Amino acid sequence: MSDLDKQIEQLKRCEPLKESEVKALCLKAIEILVEESNVQRVDAPVTICGDIHGQFYDMKELFKVGGDCPKTNYLFLGDFVDRGFYSVETFLLLLALKVRYPDRITLIRGNHESRQITQVYGFYDECLRKYGSVNVWRYCTDIFDYLSLSALIENKIFGVHGGLSPSITTLDQIRTIDRKQEVPHDGAMCDLLWSDPEDAVDGWGMSPRGAGYLFGGSVVTSFNHTNNIDYICRAHQLVMEGYKWMFNHQIVTVWSAPNYCYRCGNVAAILELDENLNKEFRVFQAAPQDARGTPAKKPAPDYFL
Amino acid sequence: MEVEIDEEEIKSAGGESLTDGRRGLRIHGWEIETSKRSILTSPELQLWEEKLETTHFPEMIFGNSSLILKHLASGTMIHFNAFDALIGWKQEALPPVEVPAAAKWKSRSQPFQQVILDYDYTFTTPYCGSERVDRNSEKVGGDISDGSPSLCWEDCEEKIDMVSLASKEPILFYDEVVLYEDELGDNGESLLTAKVRVMPSGWFVLFRFWLRVDGVLMRLRDTRLHCVFGEDSFPVILRENCWREGTFSGLAAKGYPVDVALYKDPSIISMRLPIIKHKTQKLKLSTNL
Repeated sequence: MSDLDKQIEQLKRCEPLKESEVKALCLKAIEILVEESNVQRVDAPVTICGDIHGQFYDMKELFKVGGDCPKTNYLFLGDFVDRGFYSVETFLLLLALKVRYPDRITLIRGNHESRQITQVYGFYDECLRKYGSVNVWRYCTDIFDYLSLSALIENKIFGVHGGLSPSITTLDQIRTIDRKQEVPHDGAMCDLLWSDPEDAVDGWGMSPRGAGYLFGGSVVTSFNHTNNIDYICRAHQLVMEGYKWMFNHQIVTVWSAPNYCYRCGNVAAILELDENLNKEFRVFQAAPQDARGTPAKKPAPDYFL
Repeated sequence: MEVEIDEEEIKSAGGESLTDGRRGLRIHGWEIETSKRSILTSPELQLWEEKLETTHFPEMIFGNSSLILKHLASGTMIHFNAFDALIGWKQEALPPVEVPAAAKWKSRSQPFQQVILDYDYTFTTPYCGSERVDRNSEKVGGDISDGSPSLCWEDCEEKIDMVSLASKEPILFYDEVVLYEDELGDNGESLLTAKVRVMPSGWFVLFRFWLRVDGVLMRLRDTRLHCVFGEDSFPVILRENCWREGTFSGLAAKGYPVDVALYKDPSIISMRLPIIKHKTQKLKLSTNL
């Protein structure tokens, strides 16, 4: 068994790698990721997965339902880290699988694969806690800059974390983005990772936050038509039922973190496409408590005031 | 946030835990219960859209979760739920808070036609609980008919006895219920929660709306309710509202650090935020004619 296979086995048990191993793994991953296009081509059959957010044991449920990699070909639409307890193990397992089976798993970037966001939402703190230094966080966030921005399945299905951008009409425009950088605060790359479809607008909408685009049905229709694609598959937003179609089946949100933040009670889904692009959503629940290794914490009564 | 309830301790204080999988207890004529359920499903949410006449909702609405405190003899019921909180949000309708990136976005070339949504995406609410007299305990959720007594909060000089609450009396029941939560598209946090603890001497609730818009502002709207168990036919309940609000630039001006990561737990930093509203009230019974 190679070192990499051993590391994969170790990560499957939710045991993190040594810092030196992480460094070596990341160096290998960069060699692979740097060659990928901003619109990475993916062959069918493939299983598409949405946000994971460090919910390692729930991702194991995902693999139980979807099958192991490399037997199943996977596309993950980003947001591997933050919020859950096991961002380190989750991301490293996916990355190790990528290095081991580069043609059987595609990882694209979510808005949480960013230095700034991970410092607020958990991954930075987790690395510091588990390794006593921020080196692993540095190696991982350096990898984030190399992750592709989108995927194109058999030229027919466009996969992206967030959504569309008013600066992008064609897939070729995505191909010309220089992606090897921290996620910017605005511009096409930012929009692809951040924007949301919105029923309340038809064309483009601006979030009440003053930053962040919303796009309506006509925007999706015209994008799909221009690029000759059947539909867009994206993640980024929690949906209670695991997946949600919008705009007359022109875009679907897939969410793969069941019982999000360990309290929402939602189910999760993955989208299986066969070689003819026939769709099947596989809905799954959070891992049972006894599969989680550590028992649920029961904190002492809190004398809050 | 669950704790093992010590049944012996509850019994010796004259109480009993609720049964049939319900969470809570009966003690000194009160029934105190929490319900913690999943976030609303799409069909449920659609119903809320119709009832509240809006399509904008927090990302996570625990619409079937609640904290209910009921004084059985008088029918006085105090409850905390997301639906009523969102009614308050709609009525207050604060203008949206711009995130730091907004300034840069304004200089960016915008799509030809664009709709700017302007609802309060922080879901700030003045809600501090619902109350009613519920004579028919079988019919929770029934409407109040004319002529029945109603409840109101009157300003008072008394204060909640924080000293006695700080004493380490045994806690017979403790729970925390999230009513809604939104990550503001990863620009911070909006969180509405109710915490309750029941001691042999009485119960205490902290109902909190907490908002952090990263780099911009923090808003903390706390409601504390305290009831000392007694023999009165109508319970004595004090309610204290304390609203705090501060901007990150205001904190910087006072020499505080403005690293967002330091402002995750409102309990730790609340003192840094200036108080903008503070009052204590007492629950009164008034009979409608």
